[in-house]
Amino acid sequence: MKKISSLSIATVVLLFASSCKKFTNINNNPNAATTSTAEAILPQAIVYTAANSNGYNTYGAELGGYAANAGGYGGFGSSWTYDFGPNDYSGLWSSTYDALEDFQTVINITAGDKDHSYYNAIARIMEAYNFELLVDTYNNVPYTDALKGTKGLTPKYDDAKTIYPALAVQLDSAITVIHAGDADQNVITLNTGTDPMFGGDMTKWAQFAQTIKLRLIIRASGAATFSNTSFDSNIGFLTTDAIVNPGYAKVNGQQNPAWNTWVQSYAGANGNRAWMPNTYAFSFYNGDNLLDNGRGYAIYFNFPNTPNNQLGVGTTAVPSAPATANAWYSGSTSSLGNAVGVMKGPNMGQPLMLAAESYFLQAEADVRGILGGTAKTDFLNGIEASFHYLYLLPDDATVASGWDPVADAAQYQLDNATSYLVNFDLATTQAQQLEAIITQKYIALNFINSQEGWNEYRRTGYPKCSQFTVDPTKSFASTLSQSSRTDRLPTRILYPASEYSYNAANVPSGISPYTSLIFWAH
Amino acid sequence: MRKSLTLLALLLFYSLAAISQTPTTITGRVLSKDGTPIPDASVRIEGSKTGTTTNVKGEYTIKARPGATLIISAISFTSEKIKLVEGRDSYNISLSASTKFLDEVVVSAGGLKARKKEQGYNATELKTEQLTNTAPVDVTSALSGKVAGLQISDVGGGINQSYRVVLRGQRSLLGNNQALIVLDNVVVPNSVLGNLNPDDIQTLEVLNGASAVALYGSEASNGALIVTTKKGKKGIPEVKLGNTSTWQQINSYPKLQKEFGGGGNGYGVNPDGSPTFSPIENQSYGPAFDGKMVNLGYPLENGDQLKVPYKANNDRSDFWQKSYTNQSDFSVSSGNDNSTLYLSGQYASVSGVMPGDRYNRATLRLNGTRRVSDKINGTYSIGWTQNRYNITTAGGDIYNNLLNIPANVPILMFKDWRTNEYSNPNGFENPWYQNPYFEADNNRQKVRNDYLVGNVQLDYAPIPSLDITARVGMTTNNGSTLAWTDKFTYTPYAISESGGSKSNIPGSVSSNNNYYTRLEGNVYATYKKTVSKFDFNLTGGWSIRQNNSQFTYASVTGLVVPGLFNLSNSTSLPTASDGTFESRLAGLYGDFKVGFDNYLFLEATGRNDWVSILNPPNNHFFYPSVSLSFVASDAFQALKDMRNLDYLKLRGSWSKVGQVNLTADPNSPTFGAYSLQPTYYQNNGYPFQGVAGYSVGNQLVQPGLKPEFTKGYEGGIDLAMFKNRLQATVTYYSTHTTNQTVPANISSASGYTSFLLNSGEVSNKGIESKLTVTPYQTKLWTVTVSANYSYTDNKVISINPALPTLPVASYSSGAGSYAIPGYQFPVIYGTDYKRYQGHVIVDAVTGLPEVNQTLQVLGSAAVKNQLGLDANVRYGSLSLYVLFEYRGGNKIYNAGGPTYDWSGTSIRTVAFHRQRFIFPNSVIDAGGGKYVTNTNVLIQNGNGNDGFWTDQTENMGVTSNYVTSGAFWKLRQLSLSYTFPGKMLGNNKVIKNLTVSAQGRNLFLWLPKTNIYTDPEYSDAGQASNGIGLTNLQAPPSRYFGGTISFTF
Repeated sequence: MKKISSLSIATVVLLFASSCKKFTNINNNPNAATTSTAEAILPQAIVYTAANSNGYNTYGAELGGYAANAGGYGGFGSSWTYDFGPNDYSGLWSSTYDALEDFQTVINITAGDKDHSYYNAIARIMEAYNFELLVDTYNNVPYTDALKGTKGLTPKYDDAKTIYPALAVQLDSAITVIHAGDADQNVITLNTGTDPMFGGDMTKWAQFAQTIKLRLIIRASGAATFSNTSFDSNIGFLTTDAIVNPGYAKVNGQQNPAWNTWVQSYAGANGNRAWMPNTYAFSFYNGDNLLDNGRGYAIYFNFPNTPNNQLGVGTTAVPSAPATANAWYSGSTSSLGNAVGVMKGPNMGQPLMLAAESYFLQAEADVRGILGGTAKTDFLNGIEASFHYLYLLPDDATVASGWDPVADAAQYQLDNATSYLVNFDLATTQAQQLEAIITQKYIALNFINSQEGWNEYRRTGYPKCSQFTVDPTKSFASTLSQSSRTDRLPTRILYPASEYSYNAANVPSGISPYTSLIFWAH
Repeated sequence: MRKSLTLLALLLFYSLAAISQTPTTITGRVLSKDGTPIPDASVRIEGSKTGTTTNVKGEYTIKARPGATLIISAISFTSEKIKLVEGRDSYNISLSASTKFLDEVVVSAGGLKARKKEQGYNATELKTEQLTNTAPVDVTSALSGKVAGLQISDVGGGINQSYRVVLRGQRSLLGNNQALIVLDNVVVPNSVLGNLNPDDIQTLEVLNGASAVALYGSEASNGALIVTTKKGKKGIPEVKLGNTSTWQQINSYPKLQKEFGGGGNGYGVNPDGSPTFSPIENQSYGPAFDGKMVNLGYPLENGDQLKVPYKANNDRSDFWQKSYTNQSDFSVSSGNDNSTLYLSGQYASVSGVMPGDRYNRATLRLNGTRRVSDKINGTYSIGWTQNRYNITTAGGDIYNNLLNIPANVPILMFKDWRTNEYSNPNGFENPWYQNPYFEADNNRQKVRNDYLVGNVQLDYAPIPSLDITARVGMTTNNGSTLAWTDKFTYTPYAISESGGSKSNIPGSVSSNNNYYTRLEGNVYATYKKTVSKFDFNLTGGWSIRQNNSQFTYASVTGLVVPGLFNLSNSTSLPTASDGTFESRLAGLYGDFKVGFDNYLFLEATGRNDWVSILNPPNNHFFYPSVSLSFVASDAFQALKDMRNLDYLKLRGSWSKVGQVNLTADPNSPTFGAYSLQPTYYQNNGYPFQGVAGYSVGNQLVQPGLKPEFTKGYEGGIDLAMFKNRLQATVTYYSTHTTNQTVPANISSASGYTSFLLNSGEVSNKGIESKLTVTPYQTKLWTVTVSANYSYTDNKVISINPALPTLPVASYSSGAGSYAIPGYQFPVIYGTDYKRYQGHVIVDAVTGLPEVNQTLQVLGSAAVKNQLGLDANVRYGSLSLYVLFEYRGGNKIYNAGGPTYDWSGTSIRTVAFHRQRFIFPNSVIDAGGGKYVTNTNVLIQNGNGNDGFWTDQTENMGVTSNYVTSGAFWKLRQLSLSYTFPGKMLGNNKVIKNLTVSAQGRNLFLWLPKTNIYTDPEYSDAGQASNGIGLTNLQAPPSRYFGGTISFTF
């Protein structure tokens, strides 16, 4: 009897235990996808990069002399003093790595999958693009240890000088992978849906890769050693703007990110009105430094009477931003959204790299003897490409009627015929040529990819702003700068607080916003 | 065979009769000392098995022989013996209330019953009157300060406070630390406690430690509050009616300066060097008040200009209105031999200190028992609660705006924003911040919550020594929220005059519907056997639980028709999201008790759980507990003989309890389900034009995630002396919680932002003690004072080598509430100035303090010392009760502090009257590692705008500037009540008695001088977060006072 009862208890327990297994086997997520594909991730990652580029533009505009505080706002704090804390612009770090993880996942999913060569190559190129943004902003960053999930919870930092060459190798290998894809008849091609930047045009991707590589080599200017500095001339460099547009529209969450930040929410609420054009950048349009009626009218609200300010001046005399729309919006305020310039409309694409930048990079490479082209040709092409981009409607394809980029670029030459910053023939020394190229690049990048203008200033000192002056057309440094440099500008922002909290053993300490330099900076 | 047996019985019968006298029928009544009948009292003949119980009138009938002794006993009364004498057959007995409450039966884990003397762990029982003497709407608030080791924190004030209920400090880093709530033997979500009618509660038993509750399974490591609702009583039906009125007003407000008004040197400088006044500026960095009339705001479109005296007023705190709460309740209790019934209803309507905030709650309850047969009993209990809110969604914003507004702005005059031209958004003086009255009106939500909590239980006793119980419980909450911001279109004049700072409000609507259901089934059998001096008691059972929830959320922005709050009323398409969650748990458990000679008790429990939210093979786990109770005063003759010793009990217990902590929020509708798999989600606006776009989720999960385990022991002594005039209890406990489940934030360079892993250990130890003394007691007077004190010391032993610091709740600046090994849990962590031996190092030229950007530990956020002091004075039917509570040993970070500095309204900003000043307690680097006291280097700009006070880096961003002591004293409760007995009401036979009372809660709050902000109980991280010690712009703390009248029929 005793035996039977203990046996039956054991049976009951066993039965219970096995039924428990079934009873508790219900932990499959009904709410979110738990697997994904390269096709699903890549387009989003590209659009993510476009969204982040708006953040980089804001950062570059605030530090790089494109934007200044507008009237009626306070609390600019370190934007005025440059006494940056680890929370200033910290979103750049986290969102860039977040987007990078998406690209890395595409690379991991498609590794060894020849049919997905194009996906693999695009992810590699975009990874290089994003890592360059990080290095240019933070110098040493986690690279070889980064994006490894549980295998790298506290990634070590790599020397920026070694990351640049590694990115160039990555770009070369991406081009090799594209060629491998070209040779695979089953290769999966991309379209405007899956490739919101080039619509699946792999030639443009290869050009984009080479242009980024050119930028790396020029920017490092001898501070880093590259294993391969040659370029495939059959591919060449970007001749069109690299613009991301997945179908931005005046819909919740789907507006162009820059438009959404600066001009108007999809529901019609005002965008950021705390910033307005910096008098310094504005001086390249209104005749104070250069006269540029074409692009001035294209970009600015109520040009040439656009409200503008010198950074750090916070008196009540400072004008407010326009009551509706935005100082960088040149169109009609009664019906927002179909204009030219930098804020064209909610449906415009987000440029990751302008053709103008590509041409100016080539021009500099010509001057430096890296490429064999004619600097002046590339220089003029760059200016014209800038006019062309700015005169496009929000579809990024149609030049607005009544706007002629070729004629206006020519008029620009006439209006500034005595300035070697415009008239390349007058730039007789290499320094003048470089100054002209970088200054024009600075103008072309105005409020589009402002961070690149800021990077180039820190690398070359152009456009000129080396001596601090109270004249707001000669220096873009804040009047309240606490920087000890002669240009009274900061050299960099700090690593984010999150790194000091979660990766304290690796994050470099003692970073100063006034003396710590990006490895290519002066 | 049969024959001979009968014969034997007969033989026995006759022989017995021969040696004793004939039994006679004895009758009588058992009454309490005050004359009320005691039903269910046991009357039995000493030395025999013959016995009976009294009926509802306290009457009994028993057959006994003269010379025999009757033992009369009843729960909560002292037993008496009567020797029967020849010729008398009626004995009335009055029993005095038992002081030996050790014999009282209480509910313990799993619905099992235990006598107090058997409990080998710390337990405190609170009765109805202790919970309702200050007539709270939410019973949780009545627990504050009453139980050692129990910390109740009102995390946000406001119209319907939410409370954090923690026993013995926090032990889980990021998991749930709140006490388990058990209602009528069924585990319920914590939110149910606040939605009970406090009058329905018969007892609330606080079981501080895990050993007491291990049987409840994997939610028990935090201790439990076991709530038992009232049952009907046999006897004459009793009807109660009551009404309570309560007023609420704020009792503390951030300290604000009253010297300077709106403006600042951004507007220029006056000839005397003072900053210029501005009629529109919201920052109070203008000139000193002079009482002259000044303009306020821009001139209106019609040319009207508001003028006010330039002097400080009290409107910023007077904005918070005195509000009113009314509670009406009734209950009916009745019963007979076969069934009992308890019915009740309550309606509470509450208005808030925030203008326009309203809340109401209705509760119904039906509890009953039914004896189906001699062997089968049924019990049921059903509660229905509905609550409704109509409150503003902009509470924090409004508070923030109030604190930004200069003291010269007469806020109270802006009430009628629809009719008054200066109050209307178009004409409101401040272009950046809205009129608080408009904001309260324009941003609102209506919240609906319906709770149904019920359970049905069957007890079956096939043989006297075996009880089988089956129970099914259900909790379901069905809720919805409709929130909106109405659209507002400004006049072109207002837009242009404000330079666009006033911009049109597009309006928005969001709608949320949700439900959750929790089902629980339990079957267990208890077998009892007594072998000589040993009492054995064995229980085995199984339990299953299933949680389900679902929500749908949709919102639109951009309204078309003003005042119409519907998803369809929009210029854009709604965005929507939804989720479905299910989790299950199954458990097998056993409980073995053995008692020896009624003074030594050993109890061992074991339980094995299977949970759905972890992966096999880590989803099932076993946890045991053992406890020992030794009533020394019953065991040793020497102690029994001690005249003044009533009892002395020694107890000890050990337990190990697993907890699956995949969510910190015990009310989380996700139940921690589906946390283990990586997820991919559409992001950055996707889907675009028919194309999907996914991003990789940001959380990593450690493979093979396990539950966390809390292992620990406790020991204690309970003592009563001088006929219970002195009662003392003290408990020491120590626990270690290992394998913490931590979704740790990680470097985003890893590609992810958080990592869910098992790591870390927290130790908790502490003392819980209570002393109750009745120094004066006469027939009319009773004076009782008591003190309860608890000391809690928890410490993070380790987290993970890769994660040296773990933010539990943090701000974007990095400041917050952290877990850091070697420190208490949690600590306030943030930036501080660079210091030399405690002195702040300042720049030798600018006099500005230097900031150390590396985050520092700035103090423990965990309350270390908690003291409750109460006194109860009774004089006849008059009763006075008072309760004070102290908490201390902790720090808080007042995250709202920088806001008040920014606006220049805080008292800090006038410490030097806006003049240049030497940073207090500062030193200057003299080189070579030497520092000299700073006596002459002044901070050049002691004002706002580009001066020190609004400097993000030098002042507002420095966490330590806003870290203050978290200590407080509160006058928690004060009540005075008087009961008119029926006699005094003219013996009308209708009203049995009438009680009137006056009462108050949180009447006074005393804070240390440094705390110029708010109630340290608040938690900016919310009710569910362990990141305590952070306060912000919650509603100002309030006092409550009112009166109650109640009738018993």
